[in-house]
Amino acid sequence: MKTLLKTCLTAVLIVAATSCGKDNYDRPESHFSGKVVYNGQAIGVRGSNGAVRLQFWQDGYELSTAINVYVTQDGSYSSILFDGVYKLVAVNGTGPWVSAQDTVIVTVNGNTQKDYEVTPYYTLSNIDYSITGNILNASFDITGVTADRAIEYVALMVNKTQFVDFGDGTHVNWVRVPDVTPGRVTLQLDVANDIAEQKALYARVGLKIVGIGEGIYDTGVYKIK
Amino acid sequence: MKRINILLIIIITVSSVFLTTNCSGFLDRESESLFSDEQVFADQNMITSVLANYYGRIDWGQSLERGGDFVILDEACISSGGPDNRQDFGNDLWRVYDYTLIRNLNQFLKGIKSEAAAGLDPAYRDQIEGEARFIRAWTYFNMCRCMGGMPIVGDEVFSYSAGMDITALQFPRSTEAELYDYVIGECTDVANMLPSEPTKNAARANKWAALTLKARSALYAASIARYNYLTPDVKTEGGEVGIPANLAAGYYETAYNTCKEIIDGGKYRLYTDNPDKGANFYEAVCNKSSYEVIWARDYYYPGNTTGFTNNAIATSVRGDIDANIFTPTLNIVEAFEYKTNRDGALLTRTADNSDYIYYDKPEDIFADKDARLYGTVVYPGSDFNGIPMIYQSGQKYLADGEWKERTGDILKGSAVDDDGDLVTADNGPTKSSDQYINNSGFNIRKFVDYNRDASTRGRGSEMWFVRMRYAETLMIAAEAALELGKPQQEVCGYINQIRDRAGIQHLNAVTLDDIVRERRVEFAYENHRWWDLRRLRIAHNLWDGDSETYDATHYALFPFRIKDPSHPQNGKWVFDKLRSTWTSTYPRKFEYRNYYNFIDQGWIDKNPKLVRNPYQ
Repeated sequence: MKTLLKTCLTAVLIVAATSCGKDNYDRPESHFSGKVVYNGQAIGVRGSNGAVRLQFWQDGYELSTAINVYVTQDGSYSSILFDGVYKLVAVNGTGPWVSAQDTVIVTVNGNTQKDYEVTPYYTLSNIDYSITGNILNASFDITGVTADRAIEYVALMVNKTQFVDFGDGTHVNWVRVPDVTPGRVTLQLDVANDIAEQKALYARVGLKIVGIGEGIYDTGVYKIK
Repeated sequence: MKRINILLIIIITVSSVFLTTNCSGFLDRESESLFSDEQVFADQNMITSVLANYYGRIDWGQSLERGGDFVILDEACISSGGPDNRQDFGNDLWRVYDYTLIRNLNQFLKGIKSEAAAGLDPAYRDQIEGEARFIRAWTYFNMCRCMGGMPIVGDEVFSYSAGMDITALQFPRSTEAELYDYVIGECTDVANMLPSEPTKNAARANKWAALTLKARSALYAASIARYNYLTPDVKTEGGEVGIPANLAAGYYETAYNTCKEIIDGGKYRLYTDNPDKGANFYEAVCNKSSYEVIWARDYYYPGNTTGFTNNAIATSVRGDIDANIFTPTLNIVEAFEYKTNRDGALLTRTADNSDYIYYDKPEDIFADKDARLYGTVVYPGSDFNGIPMIYQSGQKYLADGEWKERTGDILKGSAVDDDGDLVTADNGPTKSSDQYINNSGFNIRKFVDYNRDASTRGRGSEMWFVRMRYAETLMIAAEAALELGKPQQEVCGYINQIRDRAGIQHLNAVTLDDIVRERRVEFAYENHRWWDLRRLRIAHNLWDGDSETYDATHYALFPFRIKDPSHPQNGKWVFDKLRSTWTSTYPRKFEYRNYYNFIDQGWIDKNPKLVRNPYQ
């Protein structure tokens, strides 16, 4: 009886441990990465909640499903893919740039790097943060790229993690200033309570455009503590 | 060996002969469980059953079948159990895409015109054709308000046989305006085919249901045409989403004239039988003898009931263990005005916010509210079918100049203190995440059955769900008249009939904002809010995802009784308004992409002619 059991178990083990090979693919191994750029400069976006994404499409299959590629705070994205030819497109309205849905053909072969060109409504540059006492200062230049959309507000936000943006729960404190025109802007925020309460604190500035769900942000964050 | 081979050949031959022939036509028998078209369409009872099947397949969006859906917006929140962690609205929320039903309806329409149906009375044939086409128009209307223009497939019954060219079956999307036009045209036609008398329990569509759908479709199309400039990116190049502004006036005109026709028809009017205006409003919507209701989804016991009452009932009057699965938010309660004050905010604190306002009885804070509040919501101090409803979160007492709370554990029954005074009522509210415990301080009354058996699990309630009623006719007339620039006197005339019935002051001038406010309270829990905010393009401003925005965030009302013998207000009631993160963690965030559902990738794979919606 015991021998029979052992034989059975061994047989099952052999069957389980080997496999036919036919229905198994190798996992994708090519690392694809890039940045959303304007004139070679990356654009900072909301990196939380899967807010900003690009899509990969591949022709030649009967059923098509997009591969979402989420853009993170510093404007970069990455994905692990099979080698092949893909179309990279923006999703209308999910990013703080002019909807164009330009298709970029990407040939993924081993580790591949490809940036995605967009036209943002505004750019933020020369961003300086400083803290004097409990007052956090941020100043930066706003440059208009296209003239067709006004600024809803600019904001200086702090959060207890490195994810800092307009979303609920991704800033513990912020100051919003509406009706801003392009040029040099300075924002101030009293962060006394936040410094006292939080273990870590990061700051970031952002700009919200009228009629666009997502904002343009600094590509980096400023570590307060 | 040879013998075996021969034997095998013989066996195979014999069995294949048996397999390919059969003795008594066994495989050619008439089915005993399926009816043929000839059988169905020659018999009125059979036809009615088929039609009933279609009526049962059209409960989309918020309904009594899925009461939990009411917590997604701002009218109700999850009470029982842990909080709702929803952060955004799904891209397929309440999406309708039912070409199976449309094909079935077309089969039906073909059937009632076929040879088999030759013996039908022409008037009866007109009626059932009208009903089937009405249901089809309702289906298209529901698809249109979800996704914009969708393929219009006409009357043809399509079928596929191997080898045929499938591109002939792939229809492109119509424009949004074309689909609304189609619905309006169908309603115009079928209004003349349908009977004009009210139907039993308003369950079957009649002429006035068709005209209400026509008016509603025209109003939706009109408001999209007029207000889609507010969301300039929510459109597609081919017009599948978005309606040109120059069409607005024509649609408003259609809506206006159609409402006039319904009003002049005189078959329906506002229900005013009960002199108690609060109870009257409940009856107007929930009593199946209400002469205001034009079309409803009817239920009956035994056999066809919903669990809405079972889910929504308050603890102290429940028939079973379930209760408080979803309960009203403070937001909807405050949306109801006071009789002479348009600001419905409950007064819990003194004007300078230095102290509570002390009330002798809990219902005093709701005194002089819009009577519809009573008809819609069970609030502290009101009654449920004559039973007084007590909501008490705890007792308050002063200690070192600060108010402190004493609360009890209601899982062990009503919590009383050593003096026998109530600490926390069965009905809560509490912040606990235990099941079936009230977390917001109110219960829903509208569509909740007073019959205690109806709140038990096994039985369910036969309460109907009202899809169309005369008050909507008046509201559409008011909105269309306003947008067409008719005299304010006329606009106010429509809306004041409704406000009169609710016992609140008349308006002398009406704005679109007033219309939105009125619709919100009149049609609470009637599956209007989401569609109204979308067609008027105001949802993204209202639900902005900011936890400091009152409208985007769920609030609760916690009543407390003062128990502090040294305090002059001992025994009185005070109320706390609280942002109820224990029912809804995050604020509502309506994004531009939520104005139209996404087109599913699976549909596009099958029909590449479908273009995507914005933001998709």
